[in-house]
Amino acid sequence: MVNKIIAAVQSVIFNRRFLIGVIILLLLMPSLFYAAEWCKELESTTSPLQQSFCEYLIEERPVNGAVLLSFTQMFILIILASNWNLTGGFSGYIDFGHAVFFGLGAFGTALLMGSSRWEEWPAFLSGWNFWTAMAGGGVVAAVFAILIGAATLRLKGPYFSIAMLGTLVAMREFVRVNSNISGGGLGLSLPVILNRPFFFYVSLIMMVLVVSLIRWLRTTEFGATLIAIREDEVGAEMRGINTTLHKITAFTIAAALTGMVGGMWAYQNTFIDVNIAFNQNRTIDMVMMTMLGGIGTVAGPVIGSAVIYWLRDVVWANFLLYHQIFEGILLIIIVLFVPEGIMGIFKKEDSGTSLFGVIRGWGRKSARQGSPQGSPTE
Amino acid sequence: MTGQTTASGQENGRPLLQGIGVTKLYGGLAALNRVDFDVYPGEIVGLIGPNGSGKTTLFDCLSRVQDLDGGQVFFKGEEISKKKPYQVAHMGLSRTFQVFRVYRKLTALENMLLSRQWREVTLIEKLTPTPPKAVERARHLLEFLTLTHLVDEQAGNLSGGQQRLLEIGMALMPDPDIILLDEAASGINPVLINTITDRIRQLSREQGKTFLLIEHNMEFIGDLCSRVFVLNFGEKLAEGTPEEVVENEDVIAAYFGT
Repeated sequence: MVNKIIAAVQSVIFNRRFLIGVIILLLLMPSLFYAAEWCKELESTTSPLQQSFCEYLIEERPVNGAVLLSFTQMFILIILASNWNLTGGFSGYIDFGHAVFFGLGAFGTALLMGSSRWEEWPAFLSGWNFWTAMAGGGVVAAVFAILIGAATLRLKGPYFSIAMLGTLVAMREFVRVNSNISGGGLGLSLPVILNRPFFFYVSLIMMVLVVSLIRWLRTTEFGATLIAIREDEVGAEMRGINTTLHKITAFTIAAALTGMVGGMWAYQNTFIDVNIAFNQNRTIDMVMMTMLGGIGTVAGPVIGSAVIYWLRDVVWANFLLYHQIFEGILLIIIVLFVPEGIMGIFKKEDSGTSLFGVIRGWGRKSARQGSPQGSPTE
Repeated sequence: MTGQTTASGQENGRPLLQGIGVTKLYGGLAALNRVDFDVYPGEIVGLIGPNGSGKTTLFDCLSRVQDLDGGQVFFKGEEISKKKPYQVAHMGLSRTFQVFRVYRKLTALENMLLSRQWREVTLIEKLTPTPPKAVERARHLLEFLTLTHLVDEQAGNLSGGQQRLLEIGMALMPDPDIILLDEAASGINPVLINTITDRIRQLSREQGKTFLLIEHNMEFIGDLCSRVFVLNFGEKLAEGTPEEVVENEDVIAAYFGT
């Protein structure tokens, strides 16, 4: 019985037509928002049908700014979790500092758009438009990923996780201290824009592109190579795979996309400071959402993010005081009962694994072939 | 017949793989102590020794997962003891492992296709579809290894013997110059061992492939190898044809403790 329900759900949600339908519906969603605006400006209505429709739109506001904002936030979380999954899920490097790229992208974009208060800030690096500045934020994050990845990706397992957590904290303090550039505690203000449908569309399109990119990468030999590195890094190296190159490439792609999302988020927020841009809760979100959906699968982060986002919304609205308890319990439930996440129930993608599975991979790296002195590096 | 290959190989000049004074220390323990060996093109050489004598460590040093603490290794006349594991692999050295190292979450076919990278494949090539020739070769090898029905099965779900076979297939996939087989025959049924023996002999005769085998099964070694090295406590105890080695008193002492 349960299996039948799972199979039915699976056949619906992994159907290509269903997915395209969902995307089209999402694309059409802001039209109700625009229709409501249009109705407000309308002085006289021409038909009773139009009148009742307009009354419904103005009184109920089925798609108001808050709804669009909620969806935008959800899309952003989906992109972040998908990016995290590229390094954490595919190549098995659990990154507890991925938010550092989000913050760098946010600050890069803000500075390039001209929000620096520092007089000596070079003029050619300010006043860029949103698109180029967002790309610039991505480049900043990517360059930093290459530099830091070249050092930290040599570390194995937990050492890498801790090094990245340290990177996040260190970068936060570094940015805070350089207050003439970053604004320190005052933060930076971006050009003000209040256009919910715009960000809804940008984040929706970015989400579709990012998830498609990762899905495509998974089908190529490059994606399979990343999973090979997760399953057995030393074996992969002996079988002719330049693991460092692959890890850094995947890490850089993930960082660049995360930086761009950070830039978009900064513009939407119109204000950033060190604490909200380099917030480690964002990393924990990425890890938890990917775990719930299914580490190492393409659809996992999407499903996990959507489920946790809406659950959190409901819990926040109804039991504000207990929402953190709820998240702790959810984490325990995931680890104990659905270690492979929702995708593990569906058994749709074979390459999925659990956090335990990733950690077992770490064991293969250090215990069987590592140096006998137990040093963290190869 | 095997004697002939040895003779011709050695007459043909330089060894394909040569170690001079290979030393590996684990703390104070010498896992390998100044071991000299050479393997000539087209030879099938055995490496035997009691447990803990340093056979697998030697393989690890050759495929460069372990750093040497002394000595030199030459492959195709090039010093490889400073190269990275993947660089040595690209030169045409492939191996199997005593402990299974298949990629458990990937299918048997994906495992085989990944081993294509044992020879150099650029990042751009990896983003384009796999050449049909490679897929065909992978399927062909899986068929030979009697794994056709498991092509799309996750490698982690395969039995021990099947994983062993898959590893041999992965080692053969890149068409290497030398293949190091680490206890390839353990956990495989006798009929299949005969098949593997035949296939190794065939590869050696027809394509001039070189093999270096670690094996405890003396029958397997005697069947295949023209020369055998014996290791004990990290030192080379004896060297010679299988018949010579079996009768060597030191070797008997090392194995039976008398």
